[in-house]
Amino acid sequence: MSPTSTVERPSKKVAAMASLPGGYAGKLLRVNLSTGRIWTQPWRPEEMRECLGGVGLGAKILYNEVGPKVHWDHPDNRLVMATGPLAGLPVWGTGGLTVVTRGALTDGATSTQANGFFGATLKYSGYDAIVIQGQAKKLSYLYVNDDTVEIRDAGHFKGLDTWQTQQALEVEHGLSGHRMSVYSIGPAGENLVRFAAIQGDYGHVASKNGCGAVMGKKRLKAVCIVRGTKALTAHDPRGLIQAADDIAHDLKTDPSTSTLYNWGTLPGVTNLYKLGVLPIKNYTTNVSSVNMDDWAPAKLRHGFDHRGHQCSACGMHHCHIQVIPQGPRRGELVDEPEYEGWSGAGWTIGLTDKEAVSWLNTRIDRACVDVNEFGWVCGWVMECMEKGYLTETQVGFRLNWGDVEGAYRLLQMISLREGFGDVLADGVKRAAEKLGGEAARCAIYTEKGASPRGHDHRGRWDEMLDTCTSSSGTMESANPTFQTEIGLPGRINPFDGEQVARLTGGILGRRHFEDSLGGCSFTFRTRIELLARALSAATGWHWSLDEAMRFGRRTASILRAFNLRCGIGPEVEYPSERYGSQPVDGPARDHHVMKQWEHMLDVWYETVGYDRKTGKPKRQTLKKLGLDWLARDLWGK
Amino acid sequence: MRAATVEVTTWVTKYVGGDGSGTRTFEEPVAPGETVRDVLRRYSKRFPELDAALWNPTRTALGEHIEVLVDDAVLGVTHDLDTPMKGGERITLLGQFMGG
Repeated sequence: MSPTSTVERPSKKVAAMASLPGGYAGKLLRVNLSTGRIWTQPWRPEEMRECLGGVGLGAKILYNEVGPKVHWDHPDNRLVMATGPLAGLPVWGTGGLTVVTRGALTDGATSTQANGFFGATLKYSGYDAIVIQGQAKKLSYLYVNDDTVEIRDAGHFKGLDTWQTQQALEVEHGLSGHRMSVYSIGPAGENLVRFAAIQGDYGHVASKNGCGAVMGKKRLKAVCIVRGTKALTAHDPRGLIQAADDIAHDLKTDPSTSTLYNWGTLPGVTNLYKLGVLPIKNYTTNVSSVNMDDWAPAKLRHGFDHRGHQCSACGMHHCHIQVIPQGPRRGELVDEPEYEGWSGAGWTIGLTDKEAVSWLNTRIDRACVDVNEFGWVCGWVMECMEKGYLTETQVGFRLNWGDVEGAYRLLQMISLREGFGDVLADGVKRAAEKLGGEAARCAIYTEKGASPRGHDHRGRWDEMLDTCTSSSGTMESANPTFQTEIGLPGRINPFDGEQVARLTGGILGRRHFEDSLGGCSFTFRTRIELLARALSAATGWHWSLDEAMRFGRRTASILRAFNLRCGIGPEVEYPSERYGSQPVDGPARDHHVMKQWEHMLDVWYETVGYDRKTGKPKRQTLKKLGLDWLARDLWGK
Repeated sequence: MRAATVEVTTWVTKYVGGDGSGTRTFEEPVAPGETVRDVLRRYSKRFPELDAALWNPTRTALGEHIEVLVDDAVLGVTHDLDTPMKGGERITLLGQFMGG
């Protein structure tokens, strides 16, 4: 363990620091892994107001610093690990981390979130974000302890999974629990699996668009932050506490969010099944003979010994650590799967043994693989083998629906790029294109190459449209949440393409605002008005609902402009054949999204104010958003 | 008298005497000419908490957070609130799911 550099402080006190808004540390930590240089970059209050943090900040850095020829695996690609102005303050779930980079699946913009303690710990160390560039000569990790920032040798962590890496770092530094936050990659990231994730604090995952492969390419095994000692204050502490209490009250008592408060995302399994949105066996059916009452949230949680595993400042009954109660893995500690885990490590691959799903889900996290894409890859292989499109000789063994041992074997092959795993490690789109024929017709992906979330979007057209038009490498508008607050209808016909497109386009921006604040997307499933109040109290600025949405749309426009510059345009805003197919059974069986797709795109483009032909945000849209500079970039003078 | 089945699921069961999980079912009479709205109004009046959650504050339209399905189709697809009921239908009240 030999330090190679320590942080350079700015040579002069920056005048703006004296008038730093509340909630900000005031500095970005910059790291060049190629040269070993580490320095801090102050940012001005005007920049903070314009970019906030999280994806708002990351999008601007990506646009300014990553040119079209800097692909995901180029050393000059940036890996932005940003938090936001609410992180570290007493608002629920404010340990938030947003990873922004040019990702490996789409080779375009990525914004992906995780929680735990990273954001709070980083802020207490005196930084609002870490911006990493370059490529280390050997496997390294970044150590942050207030003003001591070092790039250290991580050769002895090579091959460790993410939980082992965190444990090893805890031993190395003699710190445990919440005294140190670690986000790391496992074998999949080291081996540049295109859907590798960055996992941290035992069970939190920034999972989308291969951000873990970017980290692996930089030969950065982990970022390890000791809980810092710097002051962090809100502009109006009483006002912030009032807003935080109102958010908490909303989460606890509102009929829809109280389910998140009590059960996290566990209710998704039974609810989405009822709507035909639970993905079963790679979209081959939407009907199961399993008793769905056994999949009710209480059964999923109380079927295991469990304890709370809350993130920074969180009072939700969401994250839990479980103990496998029986069977061959009895006694093993696992992370309670999110809904996405139950679907990606379970239903998508025909696995309905709950202990097995929970175990496999944690193994996927530990390998640092995105559970959604793993589900699509593994389910695709299972279906192709069942139908004879793939042989045992090709894959290396027989893999049947619901075979947990086989799925784990496949996970290892992918993580290490062994045998057929090397083909699969590039994601299901590239694997399907390589195989071609009937096999290719079964694969679930977007033409951009991104993974859909763990839903059957053939019954949830808003999410399919969002996934395909997104510029963030995953859903960009995400689920409608209190959309009546911004004048949109509370409910629509989910199979009326026009209504779907107006709603999906109408809520664009909300998510970017949330993801710029440094908190959790679940505790922030509240009214924007309350988030704006919390932000105002934290910073001393006045933020309104309208301004929040406008900010979000600005960020969406920047990400889109970045993607267009990368060559990702409207021609790839389509689902694959299977992804856009008509369900054969279940509640959505009478509806085929592709019959309305072109009209949905027309309406979506009109709603968001983008040009349908070129994909560019229109000049007048950009001007309304105050993005004159971007209008000049995209449309000339 | 004809009847419809009202199926209450997930967290919505808390409002009708359940524990917030699983399913509870009720038989609800359907008089000639009654619509989905009529049947739902009469049913929800028996459960004040459900009534508050199911409808908007002025009770003129449904609120945002409980999905209503008729024969497995979300309201708006084959039925709306003013569609007459024949009896024999299954109305499902499904708590909106946020997250995941």
